[in-house]
Amino acid sequence: MTEEFVIAKDLHKSFKDLKAVDGVSFTIEKGEIFGLLGPNGAGKTTTIRILSTIIPADNGEVTIGGYDLKKNPDAVRGIIGICPQELALYADLSAFENLIFFGRMAGLSTKEAAQQAMANLELMGLADRGKKGKVDKFSGGMKRRVNLAISLMGHPELLFLDEPTVGIDPQSRNNIFETIQNLREKGMTILYTTHYMEEADKLCRRVAIMDGGKIIAMDTPHALKSQIGNPEHVTLEEVFLKLTGRSLRD
Amino acid sequence: MKKALIIMAKEVRDFLRDKGDLAFSLLLPILIFGIFYGAFGGNVGFNGTAYVVNEDPGGKYSALLLQNLGSYKGLTIQMLSASDANDRLNRSNILLALFIPQGFSANLAADQPTQLTFKQRGNGGTEGEIVTSMVEGAADSISQELQIQNNVQTAVSNSGISAQQINVTVQQFVAQEQAAPLLTVQDVTTGNNPDPVNQYLPGIMTMFVLFAVNLTAQTLVDERRKGTLERLLVSKLKVGELFLGKFLAYTARGFLQTTILLLLAYAVFRIFTPVSFLEALVIALIFAATCSTIGLIIGALSKTPNQATWISVFITMVMVMLSGTFVAISPGSVLATLSHVSINTYANNAFSALFTHGGSLASVWTDIAVMVGVAIVGLVISRFLFRVTEGGK
Repeated sequence: MTEEFVIAKDLHKSFKDLKAVDGVSFTIEKGEIFGLLGPNGAGKTTTIRILSTIIPADNGEVTIGGYDLKKNPDAVRGIIGICPQELALYADLSAFENLIFFGRMAGLSTKEAAQQAMANLELMGLADRGKKGKVDKFSGGMKRRVNLAISLMGHPELLFLDEPTVGIDPQSRNNIFETIQNLREKGMTILYTTHYMEEADKLCRRVAIMDGGKIIAMDTPHALKSQIGNPEHVTLEEVFLKLTGRSLRD
Repeated sequence: MKKALIIMAKEVRDFLRDKGDLAFSLLLPILIFGIFYGAFGGNVGFNGTAYVVNEDPGGKYSALLLQNLGSYKGLTIQMLSASDANDRLNRSNILLALFIPQGFSANLAADQPTQLTFKQRGNGGTEGEIVTSMVEGAADSISQELQIQNNVQTAVSNSGISAQQINVTVQQFVAQEQAAPLLTVQDVTTGNNPDPVNQYLPGIMTMFVLFAVNLTAQTLVDERRKGTLERLLVSKLKVGELFLGKFLAYTARGFLQTTILLLLAYAVFRIFTPVSFLEALVIALIFAATCSTIGLIIGALSKTPNQATWISVFITMVMVMLSGTFVAISPGSVLATLSHVSINTYANNAFSALFTHGGSLASVWTDIAVMVGVAIVGLVISRFLFRVTEGGK
């Protein structure tokens, strides 16, 4: 029997006159990678911010790992990790120091933080460079990998990955891709947003396509592709463009 | 609390690692102080210039007036033509000029009233007011001498003594009186000298600590802009812990800056006793804490680095100007009233009391209480104003 690890019901969030999230509901099963796709401004990041306790929803309910987000946000924070779209790290520190610092903030002891930092840097292929030099001197791909490594500190049960592979070289992208696959195999639950449809197709068991703050389609990639043709020949990108249109959003 | 200390340790380590930042924040105050000390060191008396237009050249009494003025310590006399003086007054190049009118000496010799004229911009400035007093003193001296001479001549007019003899005798008496006056003024100095160290050190120390409010503000804006703030708060860190950590870090930074200057003052200028040095450290710590909270308020209000910079510049400029760091503020003036809104005023007062008046912490408790109050209230206000992101906590 599957366990629903994340339950989001009828979420609403407005910024002045803009409805950023408008009645979003979905569930994520434990150990599932759930893709949240959509054009720029669709409401993906706002949804992640609500789920990760950064901003409160105007309406709606969220349960994560059995904890009510409104009633027990601290407990929720104890089981989640976030890899934001921005490179949220300290450029003046080394990769290792960044990981240690965020590990300490997550409640780890210095020793635990150091052990996890080394393990995560190794996982991201940064063991050699982790203690050498400031992150400022790293390439874009390396910074992205450090960004992801930080989000793994404290072994979160649910990981929010907000476009973790944007703007990097194929090698770094492949490394991150493989890392996410490994995490899935270890049973981590992941909410994943990306503009790379082939990534979502390969990684996610189910995807939700958002537009204008609403979820306009939600199913497995295979089922979504079946809606417009032979799933062996149709790509998820074609489904995405058919559902969201071809007009520019920004 | 533990996480706040970890944040503090990270920020202080960043500060100590950044050699450029370290050099600017610690060496710049020393350099500025050195410049002030070099410019004003050892010269604490009045130094001014009397700009004089003499339209009575060769006159006995105009020469005497200039001679009397020349005897004042610290007063330099610069002769100008009337057109030059008027031109410079119009351009505010000078603020006051003394005009000795044509026939000045002849009128006085003939026992006719005559008048010196001051032309000035506004009130002539502080230096002008002092020069005016000196000129009035010199003119009074000549006037009194002439009056005595005339009175004696009137009193002994029927005695058969010649006017010239009376003049010579009166001038001898005046010269004797000037050489050994009956009434003298004695200067008694209490406490330490108000030398440049005492005059400028408090203001320069507090000014540089206040400048750091921009850095405190920027650290919050940067955390928000880079996304590290969201990441920190998704961990179990509370906003209060974040604020406390930043507050402690920037308090430590300001305290370190001030301590270096105080140590310098202690070692080089020897203006402290061990006890007053420790008391100065306490004031430095409290002032650094107060500045930290001002920085946090600015950081909480600012959405962009530029906003933080401009708000900080405005606040630091106003506070430094109102605190009398570079320009003395007269008691009872409007500026003196306004100076109460500047936190530097309280710190400068407290430091000055220790440096020059032999004061103690007990004697400056009101200044300390104001700074502590601002620090506590500021910390609460900054937390209340702070938003992680639009619509956020």
